[in-house]
Parts: sequence; structure tokens; C-alpha cells
Amino acid sequence: MRLAESLPIGARTAPSRVMFGPHVTNLGDDDRSFTDRHVAYYERRARGGAGIIVTEGAGVHASDWPYERAPLAERCAEGWHNIATACHAHGALVIASLDHAGGQGSSAYSQSPLWAPSRVPEVNTREVPKWMEDADIAAVIDGFGRAARLAVESGLDGVEINAGQHSLVRQFMSGLTNHRGDRWGADRLEFARAVIRAVRDAAGSAIVGLRLSCDELAPWAGITPEMAPGIAADMCSLGVDYVVVVRGAIFSAEKTRPDFHEPTGFNIDVCRAVRAAVGASTAVFLQGSVVDVGQAEWAVEDGVCDGVEMTRAQIADAELIAKVRRGDADRVRPCIRCNQTCQVRDARNPIVSCVGDPSSGHETRDPRWEAPAPTSRRVLVVGAGPAGLEASRVAAARGHDVTVVDTDSPGGLASVAGPGGPLVDWLVRECEALGVSIRAGVEPDEWSRLAPSHDVVIQATGSRRGIADYTIGDGAIVYDVADIRRGRVALPDSGDVAVLDPIGGPIGVAFAEELGARAVLVTPDNIAGNELSRTGDLAPANVRLAQKGVHIERRSVVRAVEKNGDGLIVRLQDRFSGEVRTITVSAVVDAGFRLPTEPLPVDRALSAGDCVAPRTLYEAVLEGRRAAVKIS
Amino acid sequence: MAYKYLWTPLQLGPVATRNRIVFSAHLTNFAREGLPTEQHAAYYAARAAGGAGLIITEEHSTHPTDWPYEKLIHGFHRDVIPGYKRITDAVHRHRVPIFAQINHNGGQASSMFSRLPVWAPSPVADPLFREVPKAVTHAEIDEIVAGYATVAEHCAEGGFDGIELQCSHSSIVRGFLSPATNKRTDEYGGSLANRARLLLEIVAAVRGVIGNRLALGVRLCGDELIENGSTIEEAVEVSRLVEASGHVDYINTSIGVATASLFMIEASMHIPPGYALFIPSAIRKAVDLPVVGVGRFKDPLQAERALAEGHCDLVGVVRGQIADPDFAAKARAGATDEIRLCLSCNQECVGRMGLNRWLGCIENPRTGREHEWAVTDHVALTAKPKDVMVVGAGPAGLQAAIAAARRGHRVTVYEKENVAGGQVRWAASVPNRAEFGDMIRNQLNECRRLGVAIEFGTGVWPGLVEEKRPDHVIVATGAEPQRPWWVSDPDADESARRVVDVRAILDGSAPLGGPQSGDSVVVVDEIGFHHATSVAELLADRGCAVEIATPGMVVGQDLGITLDMENWWIRASAKGIVQSTDLVPMGFANGELTLLHHPTGANQTRRPDWVVLAVPPSPVEWLYNDLKSLGVSVERVGDCVAPRRAHAAVVDGERAGSSI
Repeated sequence: MRLAESLPIGARTAPSRVMFGPHVTNLGDDDRSFTDRHVAYYERRARGGAGIIVTEGAGVHASDWPYERAPLAERCAEGWHNIATACHAHGALVIASLDHAGGQGSSAYSQSPLWAPSRVPEVNTREVPKWMEDADIAAVIDGFGRAARLAVESGLDGVEINAGQHSLVRQFMSGLTNHRGDRWGADRLEFARAVIRAVRDAAGSAIVGLRLSCDELAPWAGITPEMAPGIAADMCSLGVDYVVVVRGAIFSAEKTRPDFHEPTGFNIDVCRAVRAAVGASTAVFLQGSVVDVGQAEWAVEDGVCDGVEMTRAQIADAELIAKVRRGDADRVRPCIRCNQTCQVRDARNPIVSCVGDPSSGHETRDPRWEAPAPTSRRVLVVGAGPAGLEASRVAAARGHDVTVVDTDSPGGLASVAGPGGPLVDWLVRECEALGVSIRAGVEPDEWSRLAPSHDVVIQATGSRRGIADYTIGDGAIVYDVADIRRGRVALPDSGDVAVLDPIGGPIGVAFAEELGARAVLVTPDNIAGNELSRTGDLAPANVRLAQKGVHIERRSVVRAVEKNGDGLIVRLQDRFSGEVRTITVSAVVDAGFRLPTEPLPVDRALSAGDCVAPRTLYEAVLEGRRAAVKIS
Repeated sequence: MAYKYLWTPLQLGPVATRNRIVFSAHLTNFAREGLPTEQHAAYYAARAAGGAGLIITEEHSTHPTDWPYEKLIHGFHRDVIPGYKRITDAVHRHRVPIFAQINHNGGQASSMFSRLPVWAPSPVADPLFREVPKAVTHAEIDEIVAGYATVAEHCAEGGFDGIELQCSHSSIVRGFLSPATNKRTDEYGGSLANRARLLLEIVAAVRGVIGNRLALGVRLCGDELIENGSTIEEAVEVSRLVEASGHVDYINTSIGVATASLFMIEASMHIPPGYALFIPSAIRKAVDLPVVGVGRFKDPLQAERALAEGHCDLVGVVRGQIADPDFAAKARAGATDEIRLCLSCNQECVGRMGLNRWLGCIENPRTGREHEWAVTDHVALTAKPKDVMVVGAGPAGLQAAIAAARRGHRVTVYEKENVAGGQVRWAASVPNRAEFGDMIRNQLNECRRLGVAIEFGTGVWPGLVEEKRPDHVIVATGAEPQRPWWVSDPDADESARRVVDVRAILDGSAPLGGPQSGDSVVVVDEIGFHHATSVAELLADRGCAVEIATPGMVVGQDLGITLDMENWWIRASAKGIVQSTDLVPMGFANGELTLLHHPTGANQTRRPDWVVLAVPPSPVEWLYNDLKSLGVSVERVGDCVAPRRAHAAVVDGERAGSSI
């Protein structure tokens, strides 16, 4: 495959055309340096065949401290060196991303004003930056040069200038954020040119890359796809060895690396145009929800780009290219673009990870799950949801003889609700490939007969419906969202449907979205989908709900559901005013908290996932692994 | 008023306190990698040096399943002991006892950091973390109890004088005590005696390991302020059980549940001081143990009165000592006016905790930075005193003046108005926000003490600088209201004269509202803090029909950070204030305001009598630019750099003033 072929970039050659792009990991140290956890994280992707690893963005000047664990270039020499040494052993090129977040940063950590071209408030924090004085501009340009020199001296193969999301360079380029009357505003590209010149000069023969927002999704003043090829050509004429085509700006921070609600490969058209506009000596990389090997291969084959950034895909499967090379492309663990644990630009500093591979980001701490077990055991896994399937997969990989049973078809709740479908499909395929016996439609009395003939039983029986904390009147029916998703019950064909969502999570919101104008989404919060902020889908979800005409009952506690003729009334109480109001609907669906299923009547059964406590895919997969390695 | 009780000693088991002022437990986010730090030691030591009677540290976690926020001290690791010693040594140097609070947060947590199931009595999801916990088995309950004992041993080894069990607002013990979260049917659920079983097991186990060398306290919640939660009657009963155990030396109190009703635990200035005193008062009537009262104790006289009236035996003063570490010493010396009064604004102390940032104080730039100040101590006077001109007596200018004068410079502040305070003055002029103005009172007191001269009614222009010839100028000219692009020119469109900034409401220059005026007002909120909401309230109180429109997803989104959101909603609902979201102002002309509902792209219009703008102001930077181009030694601070919040002004001022 073309993806696995080498790619010359500048004076060097990447062993494959797949990039592991720069992203926030929160693996950094308090002193803003890289750590051993970073080294292990990147090395694992290099070992797995990544051609180019671009390290987490490092601020080029002390005025930039956008998140607590953001690396600062002047403190990165040792970390860069260690990462380069570890990754070079596998042939990968290692590039430092050089950043300044400008007005999109935060003053929380530096306790100093933000620097930006003009006084445009940051969209989410509404913080107003200081417009940069000439001395400030000179200091940042100088900082880019110094950082580039340090990166190359530390043994890296080059640097990448961030003019994509969260970047001062882009803020200078854009009419959205650069309203200056001086020379930096008269020609908005001038700052970027000065930065590239400084970096090119400092980098010597090393690689200089540019991450460029080619669509700010704000055509009234921003960079548009029509402008982007010209800008890219202008920048590349200054000696840029590669360009990564990205999109997004201040009003669209979540659109740069969006979740599964956006299509894959959304930058393909503009990337093709940029490829056509820049010289052959500049390699062009496609970015933008490319998580599928087939799409990536096609993009290279079709001349969209020379290489592809597949960051999340390699967080999900660190061996992506290695599998491609050995002809196992269909065995790559899919990235489902859920953004649940890899999107960590979050003040709480969560560690980057993956619902499919929870050991991503925890390379130095988690065990080698698939190491062979000393003794092969006969293992019965009860429940073929993600927890049971992962337990089965890992147990089989360790050499155990595994049977997994379920009353239903495999996949559990994850196969019918949320974006986990492709992951459970992969788990089923992997289990099959590893010789796990998967038996669907096995009733409890049957598996309890099976248990005694096994050495170990792992319970992964999932969750059951929660207990309503509101009253349900005589004759009134409240559906469980899981029953509807599984097709066990059907909604009436017409009439409004109340969706009770005390969680504010993806399941209730998605259900309301599908119902569209029929849905009345009931939330205790001021905003629908409160828990979606982690994935970046909070604002987009609310836009979708509004566009689909979903009615939202905010700040509402559900008090009662009562029968009303052929329909139902739902009594709601306002959390703050105490006012009680009713809504009239044809059906009510509860998407609230669930309960664990009862423990199996088996001594010393191991357990994993929702039957321990109903949570998410991440915990199910992690606990499935943990159960598998506990088999002794 | 003479103090009769506040300065009297008190015995808590084996520990004597020299007075009744407690620096009670509170989160700081100073821990690193689960360990206590030098930042902790210096922070607590400063309050000990400042005269506190007793210090109780933030919580130490008793088990690996308990890791609700990143910067929690993992007391269950022996590695904490050297850090404990550093803290206790630093505090004992000032002969003040220090207790460690130990805790397991139970279901009030997520698995984000621990990667382990959250433990709780029953699988009832917490309203904040929204993760269903695992109902603990009996073996796990034994593990919890053992964890408390282990951590108590670590604390004893680390030199603490006592242990406090946090069983109050965020704890697995509270989880068991509360009928809202304990749905068990075994001997740990049901009757109060059953629900209190875990508490009493922990009390016995901890006493078992600490013997009689250390004091043991229990902190109880007097009212959870949640549906089906426990209330004062049960808290009194639990106090009796605790006392009857014979193992406990004192009872501390609190109100609310940290993940449900936090706004009543660390109440902002909208809640009256002393609001939680009914709790210690009721408990003290039922038990003989000393009882600690808490809840917005702002000044020593108020503390004295609570003791005199018999509500409690000790008074928890947390924010008061965050703002001024010398709170007790100044009160004791009779210098009550010199105390830097806490504003209860919650912006940089409480507000930062949920944001995973180290604790600070809006008006005290040294809070949380005591470990750095210890190195370059503020009493270090400059060898070369300079004449410093500060332009503007808002929070930035005053802080610059304070910091410069402290170093021994000769400072004169020039203020064009006849009063100090800048925008703080207006911010404090609205209902229930008066305490915000204490910031300026405190700064002026400090200026007076340091001999800073203030020239009121004196604007500064380059000519004056030339005449006065200061060695250095600090420009703190603030920011002025700005008319956004979308408002028509009032010279061409008379209706645009009824589009005014919030400041025009506060300074009275816009004549709207008043009895029977019936004015309808749309307040446009692009800032998302108190600006829009407080003016909306003021106008609603004056009889206006008020709507707030914001491009954001909620009005006043940052009110959540300072715990003002819940009470804002309660008041706004009562006052009939309409809150409209996702609306971007696109134009105002001929009396009509056009708002774009950005999710759907649909335009809406309003024809209010007035439009009030809560939008970012524009920095007043001409003086700085002029002086800079004249080659004057000049620096600028506060809103004239970029309009931000008061703390940024104070930090800028401190930095500029102390680095001359």
C-alpha cells in the first residue's frame, strides 16, 4: 500500500506516509517539560510504523501558557532528545510542533494578559487580549527561531509551525482576528512570513513544516478554501518542506478534530487544491477525521495529498501501519471518533487515552495485557458486550480457551446506543480470529450449567434499567431507552415524546435528535447534553437540536408521569423557581442512570464493566482487560 | 467592643488552642502527584504566623478509589510523610497546632483519575460527577475503615496534632449517613444507627491507632439542602452518637453537599454572614463536646458575637484568612481596620478549585504564593527610593502604589475622579454586591499605612509628567465603554441614544426605570459575569421589564464558577427577568434591535425602550502611548493593557510596583 511507502520530506525520508500529529496529552510535567510518559507514548506509535511523529505543541515564548501542562520550548531540550532517540530506533521522523496560542490561550496559568494581533475576545472564555506592541511581535518571532534551533540541536528532524487551530500565526493571517492598522495588518501574511523566515534560518537543513488552517469556517472575514491555496503557495515559497491542511478558527474550535457527527475526510477538497498550488518539493498532508486506512490510501493514490495525518486512528491502534504492512489492515482497531478520552484540552488535565485502547497514554503504567499466561484455563465469559468481548479477546490472546455467551446477539448496549458499534464489531471479529467461541441466545439456565465445566467465570452482564425517582401513575408507561434501541418496544407513530435525560449524555441527546420536532428533551441543566463538553460536542449538539426543532425543557426535575386519555402528562418542576408545569406527550422515554445487573450465583467470579457499575465504553474495555489478566 | 471569648484558650482532647479562630479545612490544589508540597507548608505557616488558633489542612484521601480531582493528597501512600513533616514543622514553629483532615469522597467522584470504579453505599449517581458508583461490599467497607486508620497513622507519624474526619459535604461517610444516597438494606442502611455504623467504625479504628496522643474531630453536615437529604435533627442525633463513642474530642460543622449545594457551603456575598450558625447552635445544645461554627465569618467582632451568644466554641474563618493571613494577629492587636477583609467574591479561591488551579485571592496576590515570597521577602527595602507616579486609583493603580511604597519608593497616585475605585465602585453599587467595594477600602487603608499620597480630581497628561518629573510612571487608566459596531450612530439615529452601557445605569446618567415607568429593557451580555445580571436586577427592582440576551449558551456563564449561578436563577425567576440565549446582536437602528439566533440562522427583533450593553470596554491607552513615545520610564497595568477582571488588575499592579 502507498501509505506504507516511504516519503521524502526536505532532506530526510519518512518511513511511511502516516503522520501522528501534534495534540494535547496532559502527559507533561508541572515545569512544562516532556516526561517519560510522553516518550513511551510516542515510541509506541513509532514502533507501530508511524512515519512522522509531531510532538505536542511547545510554546515558543513565556507569554503563551494555554493549558497547565502545555510544554514550553525552552524547557523541552531533554524531552525532545529522549523522544527522538526512542522513535529514531524505529525509523520514524520526529518533528516538534511550535506553538503560540495567542488570544486563544489562557491567562490562568501565566497570570499575564493574553497576546493577540487585535483585541478580539476569546470566544469561550470571553477574555480580551492585549494587542501586541512591536516589541511583543519581535519577541515572538525571535521565540520561534530560538525554539526551532533548540529542537534541531536536541536531535529532532525538524519543526512544524502551528498556523492551524489555537495559533497566533493564524490569528495574524485572518481578518477575523487581525484588525491592525500597521504593517502587520496591511499585509496579514507578513507575520507568518517573518516566523517562517526565522524558523527556516534557525532550522538549517532540518525539516520545516506548516500546519495551516485552510478554512476558518467564517467566510465573512476568515480564511476561505478559495484563499487557502494562494496562502499556502506564498508560505511554501519561503522554504516550507511540508504543509498539513487543517480547518477551524476561533468560532469553530471543535471543528478541527470533531467527533463522529462530522463526515470523515472533510478537508479532502481543499487539500487537493493546496496540493495543486504548492511546488512538488513541498509534501502535503491531509488532516481531518481520516481514521480509515482505506480512505487514507485512496487519498494518497488519488493525488489529494502525499501523506495523511491519522492521529486518533493511531491513538486507537498504535500498530496501524505495522498491521497494514503485514496485510492485516482489516484488523486495525477502529477509531470511532467519539473523542471521549482523547480530547483532553480540559482544565482537569485528564490523560490522553482511548475507549478502545485504554492503555494509550498509560504506556508506562499498564501491564502488557497480551503476554502469554503461564497456564491455559477454560474461561466462561457471561455477557458479550464490550467488557465481555474485550475480556474474551485478551484472555484468548493470552492462551486461554474462551467461551463467551450472551442471551442476545453480541455487542451489548454499545451495539445499539452511542458510537461504539464499529468497535464492538471489531471485538467480535478479533475474538473469532483468536478462536473464542461466541454463543448468542444462551439463556441463564443454560450458561449456569456451563459454569462448572470452566476454571474461571467472568461476569460481564451489563446494566439494567434504573429506578425512577419520579412517580409513575396508574396505567402510565415509561419506556427504557435501551429497550427502544434494542427494538423490544416501539414508540407510537405520532405525538410528542418526552426524553428524560438527567445525565446530559450522548444517548439521550442522540435519541432526541433522531426524533426531531417530536422530541421534548427534559434536562435538569441550563444546557442540553451537559456531559458532552468533554468530547467537544456540547455546542454542536445544541445547534443540531435547535435545527431539528427539538423542544428543550431546561432546569427541570421530573416529578410524575401520569396517564391522560390516550397520552401522558409529565409533571416538571423548575429547579430554581419551584414552578410546576406539565407537558402533554404521547410517550415518555427514560434515558437516565442505569443499575448494575445482579451478581451471578458463582463463587469468585471476576467481573467487568456495567455489571460492576454502569459507566462507559472506556471502563468496560479497561475492566475487561483487567479481568482477563486476573485469570490464574 | 471588647473581646471576652475570642482570645481565650480551649482544650480539644490533648491539644490546647490559644484562641478560638480556626483555619478550617479547604481545598487548595497545591498537591503535586498526590503529595503535599512546599506550597502547602508556606501557606499554612503564614496563617499560623498570623495568629490562627488552630489549622486544619485540606483533605487527605484514604483509599486509591478516591480521586475526584487531580491535585488531591493521597494520604494512603507512605510517601506523603516527608511532606507532612514539612507542613507540621513549619506550623509548629509558630506554636500553633495543626490537624489533618482525612476523607474518602465516596460517590462524589469520578473514575477519570483513578481508573477504578467509584465506591459508595448504593449505586446512586452523584449530581455533579454523574457516574454510577459501585455499591461497596462488606469486604470493601472493611477496606475503607482500614484506609482511614492507615492514613491516621501516616498523619501521626508526620507530626499532626490531631485528625479530623470529614463526614460532612463530600464524603463516603456522609453518603452512608444520608437517606438520599444510602439505599442499602443490610446493617449499614435503614435506621440512623445503621447509617451511622460506618462513621462509628471509622472513629473507633482511628482512635485505635492514634491513641490519646492526638485529638480526633468529626465534621458533620447540619443540613444537606437536597431532596430527601439529612437535616439538622439527624445531625444532632449523629452528634450524640459521636459523643457517646467516647473517642471524639470535638465536632466541626458544615452545611450542604459539595456536589449538589456547594453554593451554600462556600456562600458568596449574596448570602448573609453567619447563615449556617443554626447548625453548631443546635448541636452544642445536645452535646458537651466543643463545636466549631462556620459560614462566612468575615470579621473578628462577628466571630466574638457568635461565641458570646453561645452558638459555638470555635469559629472557622477560612476566606477571611485566605485574604489576610494576619487576620487574628491584627484583630488581637486592636487593628481591626487594618484587616484585609474578604469580599466573599469567590473569584480566585473557591472559583479556582473547580478549574483545577491553585488557590489564590482576588485582592491578595501573595495568597498561594507564600513559598515564593518567603525568598524575596517584601520587607526588603530598595536602596534607591524613586519618585513614582501612578495614574489612576482603581485596583491596578492602587496595588501598584502599595507594592512600590512597600519597597520604599515615594508614591503619588493621581486620580481624575474625586473618589478611588474605578469600575469596582460601580460593580459594588448594585444590590447585594456592596462587599465587592471592600477591595478598595482595603487598598486605601494599606496606602494610608504606607504613606502613599493620592491626588484626587487630578487628571494626568504628558505636561504634568514633565512638570512633576517622576522617576517612573505607572499608567492605570482603565477602560472606557465602547459602542459596538452594530449600534447605529446616535447623531444620525436618535433612537440609538437609548442604547447605553451598564456604567450609564450605575452612574445614573441614563434616566431609566423608576416607579411606574414601565420601561422595557434588553440587556446584551457579551461578558458573561456580574455586569449584565446585576444591572438587570437593579432595573427589574426599579420596575423595568428586563430581558437579557446573550450569544452564549447561558446568561452569566461565569457565575457558576463563583457559585452565584443558583441564587441568580432564583432571584431572576422571582423578578421576572427573561433570559434569552444563543442570540448574536446584529444591529440596532430606528429603535429596533436585531438578534441572530445563531444555531438556526433565524433573526429575531425587539423594540425595547432601552438597550443596555454589557460588552468589553476599550482600554484607555493614549497616555501610556504618549509617554512611551516621549521616552518616559513608563509601564501600564490593569484594564488599560487589556480589559480583564479585578484580580488581573491587582496582579499587574503588584508586579509593576514591586519590580521598579
